[in-house]
Amino acid sequence: MDIQPIIKIEHLSSGYNGKPVLKDISLDIYPNEIMAVLGTSGCGKTTLLKHLIGLLKPDKGTIKLFDKDIVNIDEVEFNNILKQVGVLFQNGALLNSISLGENIAIPLEQHTNLSPDLIEYLVRLKLKLVGLDHVYDYFPSELSGGMRKRAALARAIALDPKILFADEPGAGLDPVTASSLDTLLLSLKQQLGMTLIIVTHETASIKRIADRVTYLHDGKALFSGSLSEALKSDVSELRAFFHSSE
Amino acid sequence: MKQDIIKLPEYITFENAGEIYDQIIEIINNAIPSQIVTLNFESVKHIDSAGAAIINKINETASQKECALKMINLDPKIEQTIRLFQVDVKYDESEKQQESRFEKIGAAGYRFYNTLIEVIILLSNVFYWSFASFFKKKLRRKGDVIHQSILIGVNALPIIGLISFLIGFILALQSAAQLRQFGANIYVADLIAIAMVSEMGPLITAIMVAGRSGSAIAAEIATMTVTEEIDALKTMGIDPIPYLIVPKLFSIILTLPMLTVFANVIGIIGGMVIGVAYLDIDIIPFYNEVISVLRLKEIITFIVKSIVFAIIIVLTGTYFGLKVKGGSEGVGRATTASVVFSIFMVIVADSLLGLIFYLE
Repeated sequence: MDIQPIIKIEHLSSGYNGKPVLKDISLDIYPNEIMAVLGTSGCGKTTLLKHLIGLLKPDKGTIKLFDKDIVNIDEVEFNNILKQVGVLFQNGALLNSISLGENIAIPLEQHTNLSPDLIEYLVRLKLKLVGLDHVYDYFPSELSGGMRKRAALARAIALDPKILFADEPGAGLDPVTASSLDTLLLSLKQQLGMTLIIVTHETASIKRIADRVTYLHDGKALFSGSLSEALKSDVSELRAFFHSSE
Repeated sequence: MKQDIIKLPEYITFENAGEIYDQIIEIINNAIPSQIVTLNFESVKHIDSAGAAIINKINETASQKECALKMINLDPKIEQTIRLFQVDVKYDESEKQQESRFEKIGAAGYRFYNTLIEVIILLSNVFYWSFASFFKKKLRRKGDVIHQSILIGVNALPIIGLISFLIGFILALQSAAQLRQFGANIYVADLIAIAMVSEMGPLITAIMVAGRSGSAIAAEIATMTVTEEIDALKTMGIDPIPYLIVPKLFSIILTLPMLTVFANVIGIIGGMVIGVAYLDIDIIPFYNEVISVLRLKEIITFIVKSIVFAIIIVLTGTYFGLKVKGGSEGVGRATTASVVFSIFMVIVADSLLGLIFYLE
């Protein structure tokens, strides 16, 4: 039986102010897999991510999430799709004016009918998952960069999304925390059946968790395949990427 | 022994977790101690974090009520998910304990004491560095006194001119109606001159500058604190007080008295318009009356007031800017607090100085 891709990108091209950033990218992402999007700085990884979550509109091509074209979709339907999507932004993007607990409660309060005590329990549970249950009442500005990132992950997985987009989740974390974060991402995939799209530079993390890898170079997808294929690939840029970090 | 068997649905997710939780909790709440409540997982195919959370919370509640909770026909995968979210969620009760009234009063007193000490330290630091950097220009940011003087002083001229004119105009209009009844038309000049120079001029100018430039100072310092620019200066061995604050203090001490002179003149002109148009007083007699009534005391009053107000505005902005907590929201809070407090302090200082100068 053929498995249908959960995300389908076809001939995606886009740019800023007429300058092309993404050039004819086609990519399929399947349910319950971890797809790592790699590439050097400025190659278009974050831009690709922003297209997948609807923050940017492409110049050409289609993007389908859950088999629905999100490029030409009405806002109400797209908001329903977004309820099944979690996004971990590069710098966390937590709301600074409210506490960590309140930050993580936002999606639970907005999209569920759970009682306030259950919401508080779930928030503490998600914070515990990322190892931050002791800072429930803290404000984002009172946390370190790594803690903010983990808190942002707790907010992104608050509703157990089917797809989790993570923009450099391990950046700025110490190796121990980064490794435990990877373990958490893996268990999210295994236990909750999440599909993860991770934009990253961390080769150690890629080797630990990625099922498949897409390598972007100068706005083009130079390689797309399994992790083992990527590690043996002849694509010189990809080889350089893996070898330079060894 | 009484037994309750609850058959759980196929899916326990965010959509139905709340309802299932309420139903089971009701059964547990009505259960007698040592009663067995059984959760039958036979049909359960999928459970998410909300489902796992309610199972764990039900477990906790059951053990508190001393009734036994049994889970049967639990699929290993479902059990794993429950275990993934089975975390020992401890609520810190000490944080939630209510403070008594006396504790609140004590804490408020302690906070006030700490604030007072901090303000005194800031004040002494600012004064010390003002003298030190007056002679050692290198301590200050290059060209900042002139730059700040333009921002605080020159750019404020139009709005202060307009407001002062209107104040003088209204003040004269209100008093003219009364003075006219007694044939004391010319005394409107005395009234406007004294009121503008010793009271309204310095006060209105200070309130305008507190709103315009005090808020800008607080916002600038608060943003620099939040974005660690102040820390960066300190690590470069640069004291932020002489580098950032003292130039602002110098420029505001320089410009506020000048702005007050400007406000006084424009305010008196506003009054003169009423005098000429409504009370039929000529410009020359009005001018002579104004000059004759103004003594050195009024001049000294407005200069002293302006300098005191200038110090209040800079110190308040700096204090709230440096004490900022939180991110962008904190900057907003600090700015608002700074403006409100500096206007309040300006009015308090105005009252005190009024008492000092006019109690004879």
